[in-house]
Amino acid sequence: MNVQRVLYTIDGISTWFGKAAAWLIMILMTVVCVEVVKRYLLNAPTAWIFDLDNMLYGTLFMLCGAYTLAQNAHVRGDFLYSSMRPRMQAALDLVLYVVFFVPGIAALIYAGADYAADSWRIAEHSNVTSNGPPVYHFKTVIPVAGALVMLQGVAEIIRAAVCLKTGEWPSRLHDVAETDVIEEQLAHSEYVDDESRKIAIERAKEIDEVARQRGMGGDLNT
Amino acid sequence: KAQGAISMRFQSTWPSKDIFHEYALDFGKKVNDMTGGDLKIEVLPAGAVVPAFGLLDAVSKGVLDGGHGVLVYHYGKNTALALWGSGPGYGMDANMLLAWHKYGGGKALLEKIYATIGADVVSFPYAPLYSQPLGWFKKPIQSVDDFKGLKYRTVGISIDLFTAMGAAVNALPGGEIVAAMDRGLLDAAEFNNASSDRALGFADVSKICMLQSFHQNSEQLEISFNKTKFNGLPPKMKAIIEGAVEACSQDMQWKAIDRNSQDYITLQTQDKVRFFKTPDPVLKKQLELYDEITKKYLGTNPLFKEIIESQIAFAKRATRWEQDYITNRRMAFDHYFGPNGKLPV
Amino acid sequence: MSDPALGLLMLGLIVVVIMMGFPTAFTLMGLGMFFGFIAFYDPTHLFTENKVFELMVQRTYGAMTNDVLISIPLFVLMGYVMERGALVDKMFYSIQLAFRKVPASLAVATLIVCTFWGIASGLVGAVVVLMGVIAFNPMLRAGYDVKLASGVITAGGTLGILIPPSVMIIVYAAVAGQSVVKLYAAAMFPGFFLSFLYLIYIVGWAMINPKIAPPLPEEQTRVPVPHWMRKFQAAYSNNVFVGLLTALISPSKAMVIDTGQGRLTYVQLIKNFAATLVPFILTAGTLALVWWYVVIHQQAGPEAVYSGLEQLGTPGLGSGPATPAELGPPQGFYLWFGIIAAICVLLQVRYYARLDADRLQVIKLLSSSIMPLGLLTVIVLAVILFGITTATESAGVGAAGAFLLALQARTLDWKRTKEAVFLTAKTTAMVCWLFVGSALFSGVFAILGGQALVEQWVLSLNMSPIQFMILSQAIIF
Ligand code: NA
Ligand code: NA
Repeated sequence: MNVQRVLYTIDGISTWFGKAAAWLIMILMTVVCVEVVKRYLLNAPTAWIFDLDNMLYGTLFMLCGAYTLAQNAHVRGDFLYSSMRPRMQAALDLVLYVVFFVPGIAALIYAGADYAADSWRIAEHSNVTSNGPPVYHFKTVIPVAGALVMLQGVAEIIRAAVCLKTGEWPSRLHDVAETDVIEEQLAHSEYVDDESRKIAIERAKEIDEVARQRGMGGDLNT
Repeated sequence: KAQGAISMRFQSTWPSKDIFHEYALDFGKKVNDMTGGDLKIEVLPAGAVVPAFGLLDAVSKGVLDGGHGVLVYHYGKNTALALWGSGPGYGMDANMLLAWHKYGGGKALLEKIYATIGADVVSFPYAPLYSQPLGWFKKPIQSVDDFKGLKYRTVGISIDLFTAMGAAVNALPGGEIVAAMDRGLLDAAEFNNASSDRALGFADVSKICMLQSFHQNSEQLEISFNKTKFNGLPPKMKAIIEGAVEACSQDMQWKAIDRNSQDYITLQTQDKVRFFKTPDPVLKKQLELYDEITKKYLGTNPLFKEIIESQIAFAKRATRWEQDYITNRRMAFDHYFGPNGKLPV
Repeated sequence: MSDPALGLLMLGLIVVVIMMGFPTAFTLMGLGMFFGFIAFYDPTHLFTENKVFELMVQRTYGAMTNDVLISIPLFVLMGYVMERGALVDKMFYSIQLAFRKVPASLAVATLIVCTFWGIASGLVGAVVVLMGVIAFNPMLRAGYDVKLASGVITAGGTLGILIPPSVMIIVYAAVAGQSVVKLYAAAMFPGFFLSFLYLIYIVGWAMINPKIAPPLPEEQTRVPVPHWMRKFQAAYSNNVFVGLLTALISPSKAMVIDTGQGRLTYVQLIKNFAATLVPFILTAGTLALVWWYVVIHQQAGPEAVYSGLEQLGTPGLGSGPATPAELGPPQGFYLWFGIIAAICVLLQVRYYARLDADRLQVIKLLSSSIMPLGLLTVIVLAVILFGITTATESAGVGAAGAFLLALQARTLDWKRTKEAVFLTAKTTAMVCWLFVGSALFSGVFAILGGQALVEQWVLSLNMSPIQFMILSQAIIF
């Protein structure tokens, strides 16, 4: 039971950072809209928007990497994987996390820290705009995101080990899923009759279920 | 394969269709030929290993053994690097600026910059480029005011120059400019010369090219080696490399004259591009604005001051000599090929 | 083993290893690290000093600064907000009513809604699944052939990834250094054409063999016209356009009609009249935009004479004064525009002459369900395709527009906003980490000389583009 608590704690950390970074999309959207007005209506485009857009987008996806991993939402080639028994899935995952995942993410932390430190040392600025904004903060995102993903990777390795032992994938924290919208839409529908709606909700759950098992490597804690 | 042959992995900052990438390949071949195959340099195009703007980091860290590019692409690391390329060069052309680099103290100053930014590279500026066009536009530039509201591409300290002229300027590597114009990120852009501009597809996105500008009137290309790799070479090979750089520097100029002049014609005939001369008031404004910008950087970057003083001291003597001694060839051009020109045969 | 051979081994392994079901982003990254480690192996250094670690970081930074990819999260956000803000059931219902006289109307409506979501979203979204569950039962109940019912849902569902905006296309553009605009333009026609072919197929099949899609019972195709409208028609005219126009001038007879919630007001008359104008405004607006783009927007082109400037180049070499063909719109434009405009006018006249209460009600349903989102998506795409704004700018405005429409329709609350934002984050991270993994992979592949090898091989085949296309299709399948 303790192991599950460790897993949830790590999932929680990844999710917290991921959800915090997720809001950058709203800032990005706002910045883009303001610039559209400035560029096309006021004929006064801003040069550093290029840097800012890049930094918002780059930070967003890097910091959400661990969150996505915690939700098992990184796409898998699941033609064979989905039909394997959980123990087989776990065995493969365990080996591949050590062989494929750890070296690259370790590089992000270890070489990424150097890369960012060099940038801080020379107070590196963007070469894209006049008096470009500093880029050392942005480069620091690399080791930070690497550390978060590595932490989540440890949780995934533990999950695989637990599954190898018990034959069952440990559960994950619940989070919003793509298919949630189906129930929401159906719940408010005025034009779908009750019978269809009942069948539809059942089918939606089924589809959801299938989607989760397909390469999910662990059910969601619903 | 010769015995004990050394292989080096280079990357350029140019797409493979650009004539600049051809110059990079020329250098690789020259070294290979001169060493009898003992040193093989394989040059990959931009983006193959790292993005064009990431070249210095990659060479410095040893991800690549060397690179082919321009100094201004590392502008963000130290603004003074732009003094090898952007700007009017205090009246010098690119070849004279190389003369300053070799005989007027430039080399030591460049090494100093690279040391301060911790770049472990051995750098060879070479291949003086001819004056670069003001760029490609949707409507010709008739006065400085036409830059207002324009999204424009250039690199290095020219970013500051065109910003001061009223444009919103973003630097992009050569290979990404035309795509950016195509998708509307840029309204106008400059790159470099008739051959490169044509190969990169500028004529597909713009039909107006303005010639003559001071923004990059004296730029060179740069060949760089990872310092550890270079220092590990036998002295004979280092000497061959230095010789190959200088040989290629000259060959590049000859090749450029031949190829640029051909592509200039093709741009007019096949691509239906119209060329205009940048109006003199715009050129004059560039000189004034450039001086204001350098003044601003003098205070923030001590190396900037040192380099400019060195360049000015050399330029004062060299340009006076050049202007006094060298006959203005415009008269000869008009005599033979002008509106009333006559040819003996 | 030589380096290029290692590169080819790496390329060959990729298929096998991806089949092992490990997250693809990390599979590519792992292969890149492994082979990169060998490529950079230097026995005189510690393994921690291997340059592959530096390469990994530099390629990651390259992905973080790739401005082509910025539009991905914005398009994804727009799609999620629209999914949550739209009234999908109402959309389906109103389209089905609009096509109630067409054979297999339920299947046609399904296909159209799926095509619409293809334009609205960059991925195969959950709405397609939703469409499946909304449309499937009614189709079966109406006695539709099961093969037709399930076929139209699955076929329609995959249109989204082909029709722009497509995340797949953006990623491809970033990898191959191609123009997003050109790829969009290239994918646009096949996408819509495919959808059109499906449509022809469904309608044709239903006409040949009506048993597979029996007409719906009368009560399901009856348009829910409000009761007062019948009284209004009796008082004025059966043609509601004429009737409403008359009523606006002399409203006395209308003002006494009881709507069930009090008397009919003048404001309601104006609103209904405005609804009758929607088809006209859409048609006229489209024609006007075409005119603006071709005639006005383009004319600021290169034909002008610039008196203050010195033209350079060899005199008489090509770029003399502009020919009439270069001046203004292409020849034949005015003729075609005239013909199309005339046809539109005739259709409009016919339409307005036959505008009864049923049709007005369908217009009102369509205007409140699909039209706002439809306009938004079409504009977002059009401005990219015609090179008016960048994909990033138009996706950003599109996402903001989706928020505004959802707020206006009161379908978006705080919970759904959070859902859209978090889903966007996860999808973006999934796509972009995949890009990081493949960036390292291709970087190592180039270092091993694999890229040069493949280039040489392709060039040595000496094939025409078409031959090459056939060959690559053969390899893929
Ligand atoms: Na340039
Ligand atoms: Na789509």
